[in-house]
Amino acid sequence: MKAEKMLRLRDDLQEDGILICYSGYMTESVLSSLGKTIKDKLTIEKTDKFVIRGVFSIFVEQMQNVIRYSDEMEVKVSDDSVLELRYGVLTVGRKVVDGKEDVFFVAIGNMIKQHDVERLNNSLTHIQQLDAKSLKALHKEILKGKTPEGSKGAGVGFIDIARISKNGFDFDFIPVNNDQSFFTLTAYA
Amino acid sequence: MDNIRIEATERTPEVDFAFDDNNYSFRGESYPEDINIFFGPLVEQLEDYFKNLEGTDVTFNFELIYFNSSTAKVLMMLFELLDTVAEQGNQVTVNWIYETSDDNMQELGEEYGEDLEYASFKLVAQDV
Repeated sequence: MKAEKMLRLRDDLQEDGILICYSGYMTESVLSSLGKTIKDKLTIEKTDKFVIRGVFSIFVEQMQNVIRYSDEMEVKVSDDSVLELRYGVLTVGRKVVDGKEDVFFVAIGNMIKQHDVERLNNSLTHIQQLDAKSLKALHKEILKGKTPEGSKGAGVGFIDIARISKNGFDFDFIPVNNDQSFFTLTAYA
Repeated sequence: MDNIRIEATERTPEVDFAFDDNNYSFRGESYPEDINIFFGPLVEQLEDYFKNLEGTDVTFNFELIYFNSSTAKVLMMLFELLDTVAEQGNQVTVNWIYETSDDNMQELGEEYGEDLEYASFKLVAQDV
């Protein structure tokens, strides 16, 4: 029974073209290891090196978003350190997109606060509609300005994802309870 | 100011700051675990050293293969700093070195370079 269940999980993932799946606490060391594994896998497949860099860049921005912002989190504060773990789901795979075969994608899913849904939805909808030139302008405006409120990075992660994703990106939300929604974003390299 | 040389790691670039001949470079990939821990002290030392610099030739080479969005913010700050250094009376040359046919790095270089008013900027395509 146990083997049957695990085999089914594996088969389901493989049928969806998924090469790597991780569900759990995301940390910088997980980022390092999975990142290296993705590069190795695509290198073995003789993927174009600029495509590999694209997939890798999307992966880094997606992972760091979960590491910094997932609302499913645990913290332990002691005198000299703070342990913080944030939970998310990641899949990296390939599929047919608009008739193009073997488009690599990086999908991420994590909990966010209910009251952040509207802001995030507006911001992503806006970014999705921008052409390359406008994305560049917005990217620069934010880099030159003050880091947006609540941001722990440069505040341009999603714009970066949009710029790198040659085949676009999509996203979705679903309410989970009164306080939280589950957010997912898939970017196509 | 003592020269700084830090070897590249998987997530941080090689750093070569030769204060004695005003030649500086970053080389490699940049997506540090903690952006402030890695770049904070480096930027601080550059700011300190450049503060009173005048009439000097300064060369800064950016030879990056990949960098994440947090690093992008630091680079923007450095470009602004270098333009200020040029404005206060130094001959500043910024070289953005990228692999030929890496359109993404070329575009990013153009994006940073186009705002330099006083420093001279060169895009350098390199065959690998």
